[in-house]
Amino acid sequence: MTDKKAKKLDLSITNETVFSFVKTFIAILIALAITFVVLCVVSKNPVNAFITILTGALRKTRYIGLVLERTVPYTFAGLACGLLFKAGFFNLGAEGIFVMSGLIISIVAINPITTSPILHPLIAIVCGALVGGVLMLIPAYFKAKFNANELVISLMLNSIYVAIATYVVRNYFLSQSTSLIATPTFLETATIGYIIDKYHVSIMFILMLIAVIGLQFVLKKTKFGYQVRLAGTNPNFAEYSGIDSFKLAMKTNFIAGMLAGIGSAAQILTQASNFQPSTTVTNIGFTGSLLAMLGRNNPIGILVSTFFIKYLEQGTSVLYYNDTSVPSEIIAIVQGVVVLLVSSQYFLKKFREKKLLQEGLNEHE
Amino acid sequence: MSNLFTLEFITVIIRLTTPILFASLASFAAAVTGIGNIAIEGIMTMSALFGIIGSNLTQSAVLGTLIGVLIGVVIAMSIAFFSMRLGANAVLVGIAMNTFSSSLALFILYQFTGEKGSSASLLAPTLGSWNIPVIKDIPILGTLLSGHLVLVYVSVILALLFYILTYKTPLGMRMRACGLNPDAAKTAGINVQRLQVLSLIFSGIFAALGGIYLSMNYGKIYVNGIVAGQGWMGIAANGVANGSYGLLLIAALVFGAFRAFAIKVNIPRFGDLVGAVPYFAVFVTIIALAIINTIKVKKGNVAEQ
Repeated sequence: MTDKKAKKLDLSITNETVFSFVKTFIAILIALAITFVVLCVVSKNPVNAFITILTGALRKTRYIGLVLERTVPYTFAGLACGLLFKAGFFNLGAEGIFVMSGLIISIVAINPITTSPILHPLIAIVCGALVGGVLMLIPAYFKAKFNANELVISLMLNSIYVAIATYVVRNYFLSQSTSLIATPTFLETATIGYIIDKYHVSIMFILMLIAVIGLQFVLKKTKFGYQVRLAGTNPNFAEYSGIDSFKLAMKTNFIAGMLAGIGSAAQILTQASNFQPSTTVTNIGFTGSLLAMLGRNNPIGILVSTFFIKYLEQGTSVLYYNDTSVPSEIIAIVQGVVVLLVSSQYFLKKFREKKLLQEGLNEHE
Repeated sequence: MSNLFTLEFITVIIRLTTPILFASLASFAAAVTGIGNIAIEGIMTMSALFGIIGSNLTQSAVLGTLIGVLIGVVIAMSIAFFSMRLGANAVLVGIAMNTFSSSLALFILYQFTGEKGSSASLLAPTLGSWNIPVIKDIPILGTLLSGHLVLVYVSVILALLFYILTYKTPLGMRMRACGLNPDAAKTAGINVQRLQVLSLIFSGIFAALGGIYLSMNYGKIYVNGIVAGQGWMGIAANGVANGSYGLLLIAALVFGAFRAFAIKVNIPRFGDLVGAVPYFAVFVTIIALAIINTIKVKKGNVAEQ
């Protein structure tokens, strides 16, 4: 009997996966409803404005390209945070890693190391990834060895890294052509071009897809992935079942740091022309943690939610372009409400329990 | 260097310490019952903005302040709602609130002023400074104690009151019990959740006053990015203090003095790095505490055997 049940695709609300989809969907509906109410207050033409937010990104191929391009660094940030959360680490260091990796990537990108347009960005990406991985080991080491609070440590490191990057750029790599604290413009050979020009698809986009699928596979199908999930859900059990938690912590954090570093390269080498420590990659790491929450720490979920948020964000920019009474920051409302509701364990839980109870009673009869 | 230790410089230190003191109190107030409130930066931003807007709408600085504080309490309550009622992780709710607030503040500022930079176009009365009647005429003591901004006095008084509340009253004792061991507190018949909500509200009020201080007392307008990491400084101070109220106040003062020195001394090459020293201090302190703890536990184990 159990065999038959397992084979049948369970599409009822009581199924865990279906329920999380329904929950996310309802959270999005609530967020959009709130957005509409806000639009009614601030805009003269709320219906039109609302439709623009929902469909604005589709109006020009260039807009779709921008959505795809902006999805890449944020997805990498989301993957980094998602992996850490999944393993039970409250490490918000991705924000700082984006800055420090960005610094190294930019230093590589302004120096004529090689003339090859393939090798030059590749070196930059590898350097960024390695720096990210190594720096992420700092909070991981102190957490795993001495149980030091990785949250506070990583937050402090974020501020320290911004200061270091600003110091290095101001004193050693300052551009003479602008009054800002910025590096000189990157060399032509270092910037990453598009493979599909029309949709702004670059090699970083492909790399992101590989990372998403790869991480999904690793988490679901490998021993390492199993250990990560086990350590995240029940660290004591993981410890007692013989998992070397120190080694695992170092591995997970190193991979997360590398993901953040590659994300930083995606932002810098495709979307920026120089590096400004206080603006170029600001808030990507923090947003990554929200996207991880939204995607329930699942790689594919993170990719989908990042795309969703960036899609709406493009819609809000189009809206601001047409109707200046609604600044594009309205996206924050959608993002905030969806993230808060999706991460709420008990949101809709009563409803689900009622259904479960009903089902149980029905079966009993 | 000669004019470093003048009375004016002490005034500068006091002025720069106040927002950090508010933020530190906010972080401490939440931590007392075991809640990590990392949305202090966001609350400060929103309250700084709403203080000015409220003051503009009512044309009263006091009412504006109250509106700003109210917003702080509302955000604190919503953190409580999402983390306790809906079971979301408090830290993640805090991050969401921070990101949410910085964009939302921009959005609201734009609705009221039509620009995204500052509230300069909003006419809003702000809080002034206060001269203590008799003391202000005493030569040195007068400049030292009198003539400070109103919220400076408020911060000192609140710091004192909150000390009395947490350490000298039954309510404070219960709150600390929640932080030390929530299960034991529950067994002793304490309504842990209610006290946690209460401490979050305190945290919201302190953070709100910190934000209002920046926009309506220290400055006269709301500027985008006005909080500039001072909320994190408060969290940092609380991290160093590790549960000790005295250390918390000292840490806030040290961080404030540090900012004053950094501005005054203006070390040309290393200015950027100097700004990060407080964060580094916290980094080192937390690691040192963790290492000491680990050693203690190990020693304890050996002794037991």
